[in-house]
Amino acid sequence: MAQIELKNVQKFFGPVQVIKDMDLTINDGEFVVMLGQSGCGKTTTLRAIAGLETVTSGEIFIDGVAVHEKKAADRDIAFVFQSFSLYPHMNVYENIAFPLRAVGMSNAERDKAVKEVAEILQITALLDRRPSALAGGDMQRVAIGRALVRRPKALLMDEPIGALDAKLREEMRSEIKRLHISRGSTSVYVTHDQIEAMSLADRIVIMHDGLLQQIGAPDEVYLKPANLFVAEFVGSPVMNVADVVLAASGGQIQVRLGHGDAGFHFPAGLTNHLKETGADIALGIRPEAVSLQHDAKDGYIPVETTNIEPLGSHDIVDIKLGDISLRARTESGFVSGEGQQVWVNIDPAQAHFFDRSSGLALRGQS
Amino acid sequence: MALSVIARLEPGSRAAKRGMSDLAIRNLFIIPTITFLIVFNIFPLLYSLGYSFTDFRASTNAPAKFVGLDNYKFLLNDEFIWRNFTITAKYVIISVTGQVIVGFGMAMLLNRDIPLKGLITTLLMLPMMLSMAVVGLFWKLLYDPSFGIINYGLGLGKFEWLADPDVALYAVALTDIWMWSPFVMLLSLAGLSAVPKHLYEAAEIDRAGSFYTFTRITLPLVAPILMIAIIFRTMEAFKTFDMAYILSSQPTTELIAIRLYKMAFLEWQTGQSSAFAYIVLIMVVAITNIYVKYLNKVKER
Repeated sequence: MAQIELKNVQKFFGPVQVIKDMDLTINDGEFVVMLGQSGCGKTTTLRAIAGLETVTSGEIFIDGVAVHEKKAADRDIAFVFQSFSLYPHMNVYENIAFPLRAVGMSNAERDKAVKEVAEILQITALLDRRPSALAGGDMQRVAIGRALVRRPKALLMDEPIGALDAKLREEMRSEIKRLHISRGSTSVYVTHDQIEAMSLADRIVIMHDGLLQQIGAPDEVYLKPANLFVAEFVGSPVMNVADVVLAASGGQIQVRLGHGDAGFHFPAGLTNHLKETGADIALGIRPEAVSLQHDAKDGYIPVETTNIEPLGSHDIVDIKLGDISLRARTESGFVSGEGQQVWVNIDPAQAHFFDRSSGLALRGQS
Repeated sequence: MALSVIARLEPGSRAAKRGMSDLAIRNLFIIPTITFLIVFNIFPLLYSLGYSFTDFRASTNAPAKFVGLDNYKFLLNDEFIWRNFTITAKYVIISVTGQVIVGFGMAMLLNRDIPLKGLITTLLMLPMMLSMAVVGLFWKLLYDPSFGIINYGLGLGKFEWLADPDVALYAVALTDIWMWSPFVMLLSLAGLSAVPKHLYEAAEIDRAGSFYTFTRITLPLVAPILMIAIIFRTMEAFKTFDMAYILSSQPTTELIAIRLYKMAFLEWQTGQSSAFAYIVLIMVVAITNIYVKYLNKVKER
């Protein structure tokens, strides 16, 4: 078990910088998920921690020991590859035993360790099969078994369940979580799937273009996105983002969307901090914070529905407001079809404001 | 079924305009090959099988007399023939082992990013593009005791490479290694580059040392293609004739192919040499089969 620390890490592939000023501390026993689109540098970061990739500059510490000059073999870290990377000419037992044989562990000890890991992962029955005769989920179990068997300081996983089908992914996800809790090993997990990230992580690290965007617990990342990228990347369906104009009206502030005159009323306290910025402001509002009504109500704006996505547990309804489109989450069957007149309002408490030019979130003191 | 596999002719093509059917085209390609095979391979094979049971001599007009298995009995009981077999076995083992070590070693060296890799590979392949007889002729010059460059380079004075009965076979094998290592290298290189890179990364993560990685990952994964190279080289080494015949005429370098040549065309023992050729054929097929069995076992995974 170990603490991993990255200090000012930079990585270039030729002229392309794939990791920029990476500073990150992963605590002992923590499950950290690196989330980002493909090509954002998350896998490269993970490989740099493992020692499969050198860093151009910067330092990496594992348990306070500088390892960025060391080879992967000397870092005592396990890695689960997206392609599983099982040895095709060895059976499951030999695959799991490989890291132990490589360091010359005695037969009896090795046998015990392999059997124990196989037991935990429920692959005891498969031990004498070859990888080519395994189903995807079992291959992944073997790959994880091979990583866990030597009790590494940390477990790094590069989209380990990305190649599995949806149902199996869900199953393996909870299995990985269960394993992490029972073993308490420091884990770093790379994925582009936000649901995986949200469900597994103690902390999520969101990357974009080689830059750290936000580090935080899943609910923190979801409820308090640090910038527009995080706001639009995390959450499904994506957050509504629209340029807004603020106008005073009585004791309240009117937030106008879509270049129309109609606007939503916000308590002044929530928007006070926006006055000083002077920048163009964008409003971010998640679909679940957009409420629809069938009848006119105070503060609600009349709009027309343009599209309905029935998802079973709820519907996603697109509405047209001025020249922009908003997505709202409603109970299923709330709106029967396109082109209907409904009234819309948003929950000011769940609204996010962003500086359009810098993309940073604008938050009050509260 | 067979017809449906063959692509239909383009309706507007020249062949179609000339009134040729798919079947006609197929026959046009296949019949010459089949005829050639029958006339030059199958027929002599069967005809010599017949001769192997007679005392026929191609140099006389005397009619062939059926002698049953006498030729086979005689050959298998002849200790000189067994000496030829021993020499050949020794030669095959030395030469093929040498080629695998040198060829695989070169492939390992080339299986990385080095400048001018393509050019180096091509240059290394030159020996196997030469004619066997030519290689024999100029290696005879290289080995020459008085002006050969090998003795000059190694400072061995007047060392008799080819005239020394104890060394001559090794000298011939060395020439064969020089000539055919590139072949093993070529196949090994194909095998090595087919090993997925992520397996090496996994091995590195698993803390396997370079030797352990080589024996447990690289070698088993290259084994099937290396085995094919070994099959080819063993068969070829078994029937080595021209190069060895040109290089040395020592009794210690008398490989079965040379003995066979002498028996058939110097002594004109046509019947007996046919029987000899069949014994050799059966041996080569048997040895190849052992390899193929192993190859199939390796390929199963």
